[in-house]
Amino acid sequence: MPQVNIYQEDDIPSPMRRIWHAFADNPFAFAGLWVVCAFILLAVFGPFIAPYSAEAQDPNALLLPPSWDPAGTVDHFLGTDDLGRDIFSRLLHGAHLTFGMALGIVFASLIVGFVIGAISGMMKGLKSSILSHLLDALLSIPSLLMAILVVAVMGPGLSNVFWAVGIALTPQFIRAIHQAVHEELQKEYVTAARLDGANPLQVFWYVIMPNVWDIVIIQTTLGISAAILDIAALGFLNLGAQAPSPEWGAMVSQGMDNLLTAPWTVTIPGVAILCSVLAINLVGDGLRSALSPIKH
Amino acid sequence: MPLLDIRNLTIELDTPHGRVKALERVSLTLNPGEVHGLMGESGSGRSLLAKAILGIGGHNWKITADRMMWNGENLMDMSTKQRRSLMGSEIAMIFQDPISSLDPAKSVGSQIIEAMPDNPDIPWWRRGQDKKLNAKKWLHKVGIKNPKKVMGSFAWELSDGICQKVMIAIAVANQPKLLIADEPTNSMELRTQAQIFRLLSKLNQLHNVSILLISHELDTLSRWSDRLSVMYCGQIMESGITAEVIETPYHPYTRALLDNIPDHSNPEYHKMMMETLPGSAPALQHLPIGCRLGPRCPEAQKRCVAQPLLCRKKNREFACHFPYHEEPCYDDTATKS
Amino acid sequence: MTRYLLRRLNLFLATSLVLILVLFVATSRFPVEHKFALTGIHSPTPEQVAQITADYRLDEGNLSQFTAYLQQRLSGNLGVSATSNQPVFDELVQVLPASFELAGVAAILALLCGIPLGVLASLSKNKITQHSIMAITLTGYSIPVFWLGLTLSLWFGVELGWLPISGQINLLYEIEPVTGFLLIDTLLSDSQYRMSAFTDAVLHIILPAITLAVLPFTVVVRITRTAMLSIMEETYIKAAAARGLQTSKIVIRHALPNALIPVLKNMGLMLGAFSSYAMVVEVIFAWPGVGAWLVSGIYQRDYTVIQGGILSVALIIIFLSILIEVMHTAINPISRKEMYATS
Repeated sequence: MPQVNIYQEDDIPSPMRRIWHAFADNPFAFAGLWVVCAFILLAVFGPFIAPYSAEAQDPNALLLPPSWDPAGTVDHFLGTDDLGRDIFSRLLHGAHLTFGMALGIVFASLIVGFVIGAISGMMKGLKSSILSHLLDALLSIPSLLMAILVVAVMGPGLSNVFWAVGIALTPQFIRAIHQAVHEELQKEYVTAARLDGANPLQVFWYVIMPNVWDIVIIQTTLGISAAILDIAALGFLNLGAQAPSPEWGAMVSQGMDNLLTAPWTVTIPGVAILCSVLAINLVGDGLRSALSPIKH
Repeated sequence: MPLLDIRNLTIELDTPHGRVKALERVSLTLNPGEVHGLMGESGSGRSLLAKAILGIGGHNWKITADRMMWNGENLMDMSTKQRRSLMGSEIAMIFQDPISSLDPAKSVGSQIIEAMPDNPDIPWWRRGQDKKLNAKKWLHKVGIKNPKKVMGSFAWELSDGICQKVMIAIAVANQPKLLIADEPTNSMELRTQAQIFRLLSKLNQLHNVSILLISHELDTLSRWSDRLSVMYCGQIMESGITAEVIETPYHPYTRALLDNIPDHSNPEYHKMMMETLPGSAPALQHLPIGCRLGPRCPEAQKRCVAQPLLCRKKNREFACHFPYHEEPCYDDTATKS
Repeated sequence: MTRYLLRRLNLFLATSLVLILVLFVATSRFPVEHKFALTGIHSPTPEQVAQITADYRLDEGNLSQFTAYLQQRLSGNLGVSATSNQPVFDELVQVLPASFELAGVAAILALLCGIPLGVLASLSKNKITQHSIMAITLTGYSIPVFWLGLTLSLWFGVELGWLPISGQINLLYEIEPVTGFLLIDTLLSDSQYRMSAFTDAVLHIILPAITLAVLPFTVVVRITRTAMLSIMEETYIKAAAARGLQTSKIVIRHALPNALIPVLKNMGLMLGAFSSYAMVVEVIFAWPGVGAWLVSGIYQRDYTVIQGGILSVALIIIFLSILIEVMHTAINPISRKEMYATS
């Protein structure tokens, strides 16, 4: 008997469009996305918009409060620190260091983690379990401890932060991708594809990867927020960016001496870190909830 | 007096496509001591009906009904708390997937004991022991050979059949008046299926438990149930004594279902086209107005865009403007609404 | 089960070995005299040089050097601290309890507040409650811990003057260390100021513990909420409701035990971040724990302290994470089921 279709056709949106709609429906996530875009622009163009250079000292304006305070001036929008450096300009220069570097570290370790995780996930047996168990061990070493070890060997400095945070982040990516690939590999549709004659590379790229992308994306957002916090914490402990650097964590630690007389030197860089991490977490949260209904 | 009497129950669901009437004007009468079969395809709202009777609906449900009488009390007027305590003592339900209906983190025994009521005649320090004995007794009654071992195990350690028996034991431990069995043998082996059905009918005969048996298999229902209701897409099509319904279906849908049953006595059968209704059951967001069978019904006419009311004739009920074998019920209410 | 435990033990030993290997390689790369990096003795006498060479088999091959290093470290010889000339092991024993005390109080605080709030967030039908709980946790998750610590000490310590902001106890109290945990030691001591010392210790721990608890608290709330949301849709919850149990009873008896399993698992994954945060908190509040000790060690380029601190903290974390995994397997019926299937 011919199939009779008596009901109107349903328009089924593509997965990408569905994710985008689910994401855009969440106003918080959308706002977060805008803030993240703004931070990325600042990280690239920040030094060009900054009214002063990061190290420019104004001896006539020491510890000036922000402009909304009666004692503040509009010249120094967010006030100055104890050396008369303009905090707003330093924040703009620092965006490049904290936010930009976090992005750089995350993408570098994502690539390394992706390659190792995918290879170990596709492998079976002893080799795979050795890799994954060693990763468990590496994962359990806290990032700060790793940073201390790196600093002990190479001395403090901004470039070492790259290695310290990168080494601490990579195992997380490897592990997440390893587990995702490994889990997908057990499923029936992979067997079906293999029976169709797909070689391992094809199985990996055309069959497994489309189902792993969402985990990669979620891990990336988690990684970026962890990297920002780590870079800032290292800067704060003087193990990362060193004293005159406008890295946000280092700015907090430089402001500590004047915590009581000029709390804004600590509050403002802290708020900057909070905002950037919060925006990224909002985007990550929105992505996660947008991706999850497809999974289930 | 019927044990359960539902008139014009409508359940509306809030979905992304707007509000959908998943059940429309469903009426159901269940007498004490009978096994009532509820026949319907998957997605026809059988489970929704069962959950509505128990009052464990989801948060996006809106339930309206003319009346929902339980033993002379209106369920719609009761508070959640009263409903719950009623369910604990008088109505019980068993589910499609017995393994996932048992808490994976607790032993089976503790879940049976939890469901049993306190016996006020026994001093409280002996109640635990008493319940344990009772639980064993019930497990034995539902045909589990080593109740002690089963009580100590977890749900995932047991087979489907045993889990369903445990669920039945939990359900009947309170000696309910009504047991709702929602596809109790889904995805089970034939032998286990037969065991479960035999157990249910034994319970029905020995303990006088009414059973609402939900299934999609007409032959199972025709074997085990006294009365039968046929549902399609959230509407009741026909209901009556099982033997009569099978013998002389009034409703085109019931007739189509009966025609679906393969007839192996005819040697040429496997070369013949299988009888089915054209098309498939509509999705929730594309429900037709009026009689929902309308677009697929061989007898459909213009009048079918108005929903036919359930018409009662000689112990049979049906909802159709153009039934077989019988003059339609020319209630004016049916055509006006 | 025994086989599983043996495999976990094996994993612990293997990872510890890898960790010590990493430390061994790092030690040879420290930008100082190798002997100094190994022992912390600044200008050793010729006899000491001979002793060190013999202990660490410095004139032999790499493998032999590594086994010697392993022997020395595992026998508790972590060298002496270059700054205080005390054996590193003794210093470690002094600072570890303080860290455990802080971490323990913070973890208990996080669990006690986090689980009920997570359950509340999952059960609440009110959009405003849900959104505000999620907003609070997301902010807590994003806040830089050093900044939070500074802000809290500025408000409650300096401006309001309610709570002390540095150290573990007022230095005026002399408490005999028995267990190393000050909260217990103050109660055990027989001084007449016992109770006031105890309250003082409690007051000192409040701010650091709250600062440290923020991260695990937010994670616990979020995980509990997600787990509860999915569990409340399960059939066995519906079945329990159909049995006539009250909602509160269902939540406590059936939903919560199952929801705590993923919480436990995530606690294991969180250990690394938690200990990083703990170190920063110790530095901010001058808490005499292992984190502050380690950070001061790196400022003074005290390489034996760095080695000892990293070794002990990493070992503890590896041990705890494996312990949590074993507990998770023991409690979680689903993973036990998988074990049955594989073994």
